[in-house]
Amino acid sequence: MTSDGPTSGTTDVVSDQRTTGSLPDAVASSPAPVSSPIAPATGHTVRLEGLRAFYGSAEQVKGIDLDFEANHVTAIIGPSGCGKSTMVRCINRMHEEIPGAHAEGRVLLDDVDLYGPSVDIVAVRRAVGMVFQKPNPFPTMSIFDNVASGLRLSGGKRRGLQDSVESALRGAGLWEEVKDRLNEPGLGLSGGQQQRLCIARSLAVQPEVLLMDEPCSALDPIATLKIEELIGELKQRVTIVIVTHNMQQAGRVADRTAFMLSGDLVEVGPTQEIFTNPRDSRTEEYVTGKFG
Amino acid sequence: MSPESSAEQRLRAPTMAGPTTNRAHFQAELQELELRALGGLDLVVEQLDRVLEALEHQDVELAQMVITDDDRIDGRYLEVHQGILSLLARQAPVAGDLRLVAALLHVIMHVERMGDQCVNIAKLIPLTGHQPPVREELLSSLSRMGGYARSEVIESKQAFAARDVAQAEDLVRQDREINRINREIFRLAIEVGDDPDVREWAMTMVLVARALERVGDNAVDIGEQVAFVVTGLFSEFAEGAVVPVPSPATGA
Amino acid sequence: MAAPTVSESLGRFAPSPARRRKDRAARTTILVATLVALVPLAFILYFLLSKGLSAWFTSGFFTTDPTGNTFFAHSSIGGIKSAILGTIEMVALASVISIPLGVGVALWLVEYGRGTIYANVVRFFVDVLTGVPSIIFGLFIYIVLIVGTGSSYAGYKGALALSLLMLPIVIRSAEVILLLIPDSLRESALALGAPRWKVIFSVVLPTALPGMLTGMLLAVARAAGETAPLLFTAAATNSTTFNLGGFMNSLPVQIYNDVTSPTPSVVNRAWGAALTLVALIFLLNLVARLVSRRSRLR
Repeated sequence: MTSDGPTSGTTDVVSDQRTTGSLPDAVASSPAPVSSPIAPATGHTVRLEGLRAFYGSAEQVKGIDLDFEANHVTAIIGPSGCGKSTMVRCINRMHEEIPGAHAEGRVLLDDVDLYGPSVDIVAVRRAVGMVFQKPNPFPTMSIFDNVASGLRLSGGKRRGLQDSVESALRGAGLWEEVKDRLNEPGLGLSGGQQQRLCIARSLAVQPEVLLMDEPCSALDPIATLKIEELIGELKQRVTIVIVTHNMQQAGRVADRTAFMLSGDLVEVGPTQEIFTNPRDSRTEEYVTGKFG
Repeated sequence: MSPESSAEQRLRAPTMAGPTTNRAHFQAELQELELRALGGLDLVVEQLDRVLEALEHQDVELAQMVITDDDRIDGRYLEVHQGILSLLARQAPVAGDLRLVAALLHVIMHVERMGDQCVNIAKLIPLTGHQPPVREELLSSLSRMGGYARSEVIESKQAFAARDVAQAEDLVRQDREINRINREIFRLAIEVGDDPDVREWAMTMVLVARALERVGDNAVDIGEQVAFVVTGLFSEFAEGAVVPVPSPATGA
Repeated sequence: MAAPTVSESLGRFAPSPARRRKDRAARTTILVATLVALVPLAFILYFLLSKGLSAWFTSGFFTTDPTGNTFFAHSSIGGIKSAILGTIEMVALASVISIPLGVGVALWLVEYGRGTIYANVVRFFVDVLTGVPSIIFGLFIYIVLIVGTGSSYAGYKGALALSLLMLPIVIRSAEVILLLIPDSLRESALALGAPRWKVIFSVVLPTALPGMLTGMLLAVARAAGETAPLLFTAAATNSTTFNLGGFMNSLPVQIYNDVTSPTPSVVNRAWGAALTLVALIFLLNLVARLVSRRSRLR
């Protein structure tokens, strides 16, 4: 594969225009897809341009161009080791916390390049929150302190903490369940509740984008469904990117789905298309379970 | 010893060495379901052959057999329908597999309707009485129509099994012939004369022709399913032109 | 015909006699080993208690200083007040020096320098230091601070020697606990937008504290009981003093001086001092455990 610029590595059509295949008369080019409704004024878009990520000299993400629509949920699917978690961690610049790891390319949050020369990483992470696979509330803190920790740690405003915490817990669908025990340790909650606590913690700093790295894989099915419902509501406030192994989950929550393979972006499109009529044969093989 | 078809090879149970692909079990189930659904078309051809013969020889007993044997087609319908539901619930097929399953549902519905049309024809035969006044022209036209219908059914099965969109589209051409003969039969029936017995018989034959025309249409519909499975687009094979219909699947 | 035995009726699920024998043999061996290990411990406690308790009940044992009078049985020999206070003072100073320093080194090893060659080198030398005999630390301070500067023994010099002794222990145990803290905790704090130092002080340290307490306790206990370093650095004096710049008494040194005395009451006092030392450590342990349990439940 020659490297001839940021688009090297993406071997397939990523735009939404349907190509005319070699099939006979039956297939003419279909009209352009219906454009999504105008994003509300508060919506935030993320755009990756030529994003490459390295562990030392090994290139794990090989040049990705990808747009994340404002107030939409975009799912990233792909087999283990394809680089989807790495790519997502580049968006909030967590990738470079790993010794020896670095990233190249541009990550634009509403036209601001997060990898720009004088960008404050703390501010980046306030704007781009992250929820991890295993629920990990801070063990020494109460529920209240956990939710407030985001504000305290990132040096946010100290006033109105009560309100911020309540608003975040409501946003995470947890307020009713914990409002009477805010001072109890965070670890005393069930797995699903802990994960929602972590979501509340991320929401408290009022991020513009929320990254979720397989947020439900450690949870039971009911807890998973609750969080999926939550994601459907949250997308009105934040733009959401979710990495998932579970294709049914991508089908349930995501507006758009991107398929990655070995560090490349193979295909991206409306979720319905990806799961009923994907354009790339590799996507077809992956979603039907023939490999991966 | 006949060589194994590739389908049968795939259906052979995996050895203890383990499945060679992911979801081999699911793929085998899907293929089996397809064979059963397409096998319904063989049943339809059988019924068609018998009912056409009954028509030609005014064989009321044969007609009766056709009517009772429709149970087999109905049974096949239920079997495939159940298999589809089971597959959807348990295996959550997506993409090409999902389109195939949806198409098989259509196919088996068309099979069932074709079977019903054969029954309709069979029911019309005794109405004509034991010694009906026969006009040879009409009968031979009907016979030709039956031939076309039969070949359409067989070819629709072949097109589906082979995923051959070109062959599927060719069905439209054959169906035009059926429609032409249908109009011809209608004209002949009008000109058949004043004898009430003859007129009654002729009108019965018009109904038979209509049933055969329906069989042809169902075969064309199966051809449209072939295109859907292959391309993901649903197109109407309209007479004279092939016009793609924008499906709700495209677009955000 | 006799009824089938349990083994016969169970068929292939019957327990195999050979395996049961081996199981029993293993369990007995381990039990014996445990007892063998516990026996000396029991003996020590017994001796301490039987010989030391009587000293505890002599009048003024805890409230008077040793008089230095060791030869004449009818004159008072005094108690061990200055030794207790001296030990507490010097160990406290040593802790104040070594614990923050040690935790700091451990933090650097785990949070900033993890995986670097430099960190491996540091860790190697720390490991070496844990094995160095305590007398070396005493000698080091002696040569540098007493002979080298021409000044005399002092309490704070003893404390320094003790802190050198405590340092590797604190570092090692703190590092182990810090490594046990899952990286996911640090990650989620970082992802919230916290600078790394805040992650350490607001999240990692509070989580690690209960575990580190045990290590610190170990270090303190070790320091409290060391005689050799103090011999060359703090020397000893009979009177209670709060001046760390001068000679200072301590329990181990007191025991060392008393135990070889021909006077039985002095020897008795040595046992009492030994029991006191052990009791002190025991108390410290209890307090630390209560503190850590409270902080964990909070």
